[in-house]
Amino acid sequence: MHELSIAVSIVDAVCEELQRRGDPRLIAVHLTMGALSGVVKESLLFAYDAACEGTPLAGTQLVIEETPGEEFLVTALEIEDERDAAD
Amino acid sequence: MSETRLIEVRRNVFKKNDLLARELRARYRDAGTRVISLVSSPGSGKTAFLERTLTELRGRFRVAALVGDLATDNDAARLARTQVPVKQITTGTVCHLDAEMVQDALEEWTLSDLDFLFIENVGNLVCPSSYDLGESLRAVLMSVTEGEDKPRKYPTIFHSADVAIITKIDLADAVEFDRAAARASIEAVRPGMKVLEVSARTGAGMPEWLAEIER
Repeated sequence: MHELSIAVSIVDAVCEELQRRGDPRLIAVHLTMGALSGVVKESLLFAYDAACEGTPLAGTQLVIEETPGEEFLVTALEIEDERDAAD
Repeated sequence: MSETRLIEVRRNVFKKNDLLARELRARYRDAGTRVISLVSSPGSGKTAFLERTLTELRGRFRVAALVGDLATDNDAARLARTQVPVKQITTGTVCHLDAEMVQDALEEWTLSDLDFLFIENVGNLVCPSSYDLGESLRAVLMSVTEGEDKPRKYPTIFHSADVAIITKIDLADAVEFDRAAARASIEAVRPGMKVLEVSARTGAGMPEWLAEIER
């Protein structure tokens, strides 16, 4: 299960980023996936939910943008706006 | 309903492995160890090819090998016949080796005691392509029994490798292997890639392979 270990890497990376930003409430993770990265989108989406279980990412969405090339990046985190949440 | 906003991150998911691979690469270089990895589909003859390579090198160089498989230490047992140090990495359900597994496996070995370290990856033409192991040369193997269009079907792994090795070339005529078509397929995926034709059984092509890695 290659995609599962990749999903776990995504979860680890995002957890670090969230911590560094004061643990905002995460809605979605945006990912850029190169066609040459060797990762299968459907398998990754499936593995993502499994990898998120029991982590601060549980229930969040993975939004994948497919591109040519080899890059495989978490491009952005969609979070709940704190200003609004404070109301 | 609460608003959401996007924060830009741009973080490479393979960063952890890439950083570790970079460290390993520096260690190999400092120790003067040439590290060569072999990738291919299961059954393409990686282990036989490696066995022959280890046997031919061991008199003149200090060599060792790491072999990855999901389960069993059959390959390590087979390679141990060459009397060079061999260690099996069993990955469980993981379909590739990563830099951390290699680092852990190397813990008991002193790299500076080795001229060559070979890493036989898990038999898989998909997953290993994403994981840098810090090797200085990656060889992708395909056997004459697999079909000439393997490179076109699995371009990513061929793209990640430095040299292509066509194995079991002694069977080429028996299976009507089309050399030109195979080479065209490799060339289409990775133009200019060096291609060697070998047979671990007869030794054909081994001098060219050894010359390539001893450079």
